[in-house]
Amino acid sequence: MRDRTFAPSRILIYLFVSLIAAAWLAPLAVVVLNSLRTNEEIAQGSMIGWPQHVAWGNYVAAWSGFCVAETCAGIRPYMLNSALVTIPATVFSTLLGAVAGYAVSLWRFRGDSWIYGIVTLGIFLPQQMRLLPWTIVLRDTGLMNTLTGLVVIHTIQGLSFTTLFCRNYYVAIPQELIRAARIDGAGFFRIFWRIILPLSPPILVVTVIWQFTHIWNEFLYGVTFTTGQQQPVTAALIALSAAVADIPQHGVQSAAVMIAALPTLLIYLLGGRYFVRGLTAGAVK
Amino acid sequence: MTFAVSTATRPATSDMVRRLPEYLMIWVPLLLSAAHLIAFSLWTIWISFTPSTLVPVSGWVGLRNYNVVIASRNWQIAFDNLLLFGSAFVLLSLVTGLVLAILLDQRIRGENVLRSIFLYPLAVSFVVTGTVWSWLLNPGLGIQKLVHDLGWISFRFDWLIDRDMAIWTIVIAAIWQSSGFAMALFLAGLRSVDADLIKAAQIDGAGPIRMYRRVILPTLWPITITVIVIQLQFAISTFDLVRALTNGGPGIATQLPALVVYDLMFQRSLLGRGAAAAVLMLLILLAVLLPYAAWRYVQRRRAIHA
Amino acid sequence: MPVTTTRRQLLAGSAAALALPAFARAQSAVKPRLTAISQWSAGSDGAAITALGKKFEEKGGVWQHSPVPGFTTEMMNKLRAQIIAGDPPACSQLKGPEIAAWSKIAPTVDLDAVVAAAGYEKVVAPDLAKLHKPAGKWIALPLQIYSTNMLFLSKRAMDKAKADKIPVTWADFNELAEKMKAGGVAYPVANGGTRPDDGQKFEAALAGISPTVYRTAIMNLDTKALQGPEIKAAFAQVRKIADWMDPNVGAQHFSTNLKRFIEADMGMMIMGGWAQGVLRNAGFKFEDFIIAPGPSDNGKPVFLLNADAFIFWQRKEADLQAGQTLMAQLVMDPAIQTMYSQITGSIPVRTDVDLSGEGWSDGQRRTAAALKDAIASNQAVLSLAHNMAQENGLTAAMIDVITEYVKNKTIKPEQAATRLAEAVESAR
Repeated sequence: MRDRTFAPSRILIYLFVSLIAAAWLAPLAVVVLNSLRTNEEIAQGSMIGWPQHVAWGNYVAAWSGFCVAETCAGIRPYMLNSALVTIPATVFSTLLGAVAGYAVSLWRFRGDSWIYGIVTLGIFLPQQMRLLPWTIVLRDTGLMNTLTGLVVIHTIQGLSFTTLFCRNYYVAIPQELIRAARIDGAGFFRIFWRIILPLSPPILVVTVIWQFTHIWNEFLYGVTFTTGQQQPVTAALIALSAAVADIPQHGVQSAAVMIAALPTLLIYLLGGRYFVRGLTAGAVK
Repeated sequence: MTFAVSTATRPATSDMVRRLPEYLMIWVPLLLSAAHLIAFSLWTIWISFTPSTLVPVSGWVGLRNYNVVIASRNWQIAFDNLLLFGSAFVLLSLVTGLVLAILLDQRIRGENVLRSIFLYPLAVSFVVTGTVWSWLLNPGLGIQKLVHDLGWISFRFDWLIDRDMAIWTIVIAAIWQSSGFAMALFLAGLRSVDADLIKAAQIDGAGPIRMYRRVILPTLWPITITVIVIQLQFAISTFDLVRALTNGGPGIATQLPALVVYDLMFQRSLLGRGAAAAVLMLLILLAVLLPYAAWRYVQRRRAIHA
Repeated sequence: MPVTTTRRQLLAGSAAALALPAFARAQSAVKPRLTAISQWSAGSDGAAITALGKKFEEKGGVWQHSPVPGFTTEMMNKLRAQIIAGDPPACSQLKGPEIAAWSKIAPTVDLDAVVAAAGYEKVVAPDLAKLHKPAGKWIALPLQIYSTNMLFLSKRAMDKAKADKIPVTWADFNELAEKMKAGGVAYPVANGGTRPDDGQKFEAALAGISPTVYRTAIMNLDTKALQGPEIKAAFAQVRKIADWMDPNVGAQHFSTNLKRFIEADMGMMIMGGWAQGVLRNAGFKFEDFIIAPGPSDNGKPVFLLNADAFIFWQRKEADLQAGQTLMAQLVMDPAIQTMYSQITGSIPVRTDVDLSGEGWSDGQRRTAAALKDAIASNQAVLSLAHNMAQENGLTAAMIDVITEYVKNKTIKPEQAATRLAEAVESAR
């Protein structure tokens, strides 16, 4: 990297970037501060403010303390549920999307552009519209109130995004590579395994990040299609805020939000670099 | 359409059997995905012509649901808001994303940290960020109060409670939430600009501004289209954010189509009307997507003939 | 819990069941089980349902409760999904006219025998009873009641206004507000600005001006009454209320301003009885505020009813049927209603529960007394803002008009009244 002196214009750039960064961090700061204030302190003061006494207890209560009806286990069990839905659904939708994207972009078959077009249109179909049809599908498949049902929904819906991302990435791979491999007698899966997959990490990072955060933060299906102890963590978060006849528990809620956001934040922190790299490598075309 | 790997020679039956696993692997997921999209859309279209309320029922009311929805103030406001919010948000998030990307591309220190800061809103649930923004933007709690407490009493930032300006608070929160994605895309684009192109321009003596305007930005055109499409999708399906930030208020000033659909279907238990609103939403989507698809088609034709 | 108590309660339970041979048979044959869906909250509502579940288990039942997080809509989504799947819960939370609406899409349990055995009908407010027997038979049971138009007065704001008389009529209320304003209370009204909150301002105004018109216009949707002068007068009163509020409140929850209310930066709040529990849980003292029935121009208390209830869905399983009977008996039991209301801060549905004992607050006693008076003078009406007066579709259409009016000061009361009538027409 070239060494650069600090010209006035550079200082201006830094100043500007820091200002924007500060603005970007403000909402996070509010949540972090509130997670360290007691419910009472927030109720008697304002939503935004500095903690008078640092209330670490909020985190303990959020993790394993607060009661949801009969169960007083905090958000811990719901974190596990979310993981049980998010991880398989992310893996399946990414893998199937990679195969589909590979088939559509490099293998080509009759009707591929049609089916690809329809599948990618799926990213635009509003979620609220799909709630009732999914209800009927889950009823008929007997998957109502199971985590498996959620995995199936998120895998099928996720295919729209993963196929789009992967297809756009694989399109940049030279056809000659595939042709040569075929002449050598390699089949569909062998080429995928030996040639395509080793080239794929950048785009797989993108799809994994995308799918993981979307499924982790999903709420509507999670609440409607699961019951009691199987609910995802977003449901537990809402339960903390929706008390109508009670004081909103902002302190514990903020702590719970922080804990619940940890997996996705970590994924962005660790994967952010690859995210841009993956996009650079092809997804933007 | 050209088939890169020729399928002109029909495979023999034994070959078909041998290749069954790959057919299954390709077709089952794709067909499931396509089938659910088509079936769900058709189902919704059907429901929009029925008198369904709490649960789907059969029956036929013609266009009545559509007429009622289109005539309702909620839908009219939502539609106007979508036009304003959609264009303002897409444009501003495009600009914000591009500016951020250009700034980050200046080989500044701490790029990793900054990039994470601009990207993290994507990781957090909209319900949460909407709530936090509703505090920050509330004049009695957030930014305005903070500035007042600092001594600048005449400062006003009360868009959240201003009927005409409230939609802009959603624009702000949405930009905050999603321009990181635009930034990532643009940054990727900037990074993949051909180094020779830049060198050539430098030799020609182009300054940094000229360089961006004449050399670099034009290469970002395809990315811009991608960003626009993705942000438009975001704008049209914005739901959780508004629900937590303004819940359609003050009054009903910040209604958006997605909100109206959910409200009619589930809050008011008027499934038929909700479905009609959903179909109208799909039509808006098509109005946006068809030109894009046409553009892609023309572009591809050109590439093939080139 | 000592074993003896359990046994005694079990005996009491079966004694009650003896009165109902059909149910008694079911109960003795199997262990009662109940699948229940309710709104899920981490607050006192959740605690109360948990306590109810414990009682159910003490009576030998199996309590299978699925709390649904979020607001009523999320719970209804869940219920709808279960009904579409052909697997409704044995019992679920549902209230107001939605009971009638939902009872049309899936078969419900006929509770007439259990209700008659408990003598419940004569201790329930008549308008409330009607909601729970939409086709003439009891299919749902109310459990607790809130009034949505209680008046909360900040003691310190009263001091600032040099006032000690609790306002009875809207004229008194307006006068006190002016006094508070003059005395240095920045904002005489401390309400929040959510949709139900705006709805409450209107229903409190109209019911206070004329409970009769409230009944004909809002509950019975009489077109003439909807265009009557009382509606305009109510909107005019709402405008006054809105003008006395801090415009910065926006759409915040009322609890955001509790501190300013107690510290006399704000003076009065027209809110449901639940605000008492919220104030207490936020750490404020009873001495800091006064609770009274909402303003009523004829001097007699008007009670805007909001009642939580359980609806019972038909199930074939013998153990679930036994569970439903047990649950119904528990919900109607004065001891259970006492326990429940003492946790949530509401008042019991039964008008024969004695609230003089410890464990009840003055606010609850006053609310219960107001309910009795209101029933006696036929002034106990159903809350619009909390989905008790109309089905959700109609309610939402009306609240649209009201909330727009509250937030938009250029709309005239006459315009609002016209729009309200139009909204009702098109949503009907």
